[in-house]
Amino acid sequence: MSGTAASARAFVRGGTVVTGLALLALAGVYVLALGFTPIEARQGPAQKIFYLHVPAAWSALLAYSLVGLCGGLYLWLNDRRLDRFAAASAEVGVAFGVVMLTTGPIWAKPIWGTWWTWDARLTLTLFLFFLFVGYLALRAALHDPSERARFSAVVGVLGLLLVPFIHLSVYFFRTLHPQPIVLKPSPPSLPPEMLRTLLISVLVFVLLYVGLVTIRYGLALAEEEREGRLDAA
Amino acid sequence: MPPDNAGYMVAAYIVTAVILVGYAVGLWWRAERAIRDE
Repeated sequence: MSGTAASARAFVRGGTVVTGLALLALAGVYVLALGFTPIEARQGPAQKIFYLHVPAAWSALLAYSLVGLCGGLYLWLNDRRLDRFAAASAEVGVAFGVVMLTTGPIWAKPIWGTWWTWDARLTLTLFLFFLFVGYLALRAALHDPSERARFSAVVGVLGLLLVPFIHLSVYFFRTLHPQPIVLKPSPPSLPPEMLRTLLISVLVFVLLYVGLVTIRYGLALAEEEREGRLDAA
Repeated sequence: MPPDNAGYMVAAYIVTAVILVGYAVGLWWRAERAIRDE
């Protein structure tokens, strides 16, 4: 077995353990959020979607930001590991993006009376999601590894530029989406029990992100090994 | 009295579990297959 193959195996095994633990912890978050966190008086039980929607959104934005950061570093340092990590982070970010974009409308319907509205925050978030779907499609379409890494790094950097703009969009535009209640200059405006559940859920989602990215990184290594063998044959 | 909208909450929790577990299992399966092919 080559060194690359052994590394791929180690990443997949390690990532599987972390992902398994994170999914167990996610089950714990379900119990904590549904059974041990108070129901918000005005919104009712639907407000508990918050404990999944917000961590998924933050994890997706973290994933997209790291794609852009690693893309920029790749363009500077030309290190294949950065490109591999960016590709892994983009795919996991899209998965978290799907959670964000499905739980959001399910929460919006009973609270806003509509599944979707084309306001700045929602539209920009959807645009960012499509940008990273495009990032993955671009990678799948290009065969040459260095061309693939360079082109996708540029797309990743463009995505990174959108992230702070999305966070601040609720201040720049009139929007139905609520303003930040945790990530803001003043202290969080949440009761302690709700803040505790939110922060635990965020930690679990970040752990899940780490596990999934580790598996995806190992998969990328294994695919590179196979591509190398096919090119050599 | 809070509004009765628990159905939306249940739907969101189920959808999230299906997406995350489905993606994790699919990714693990792709990775295991790639390792076996080496």
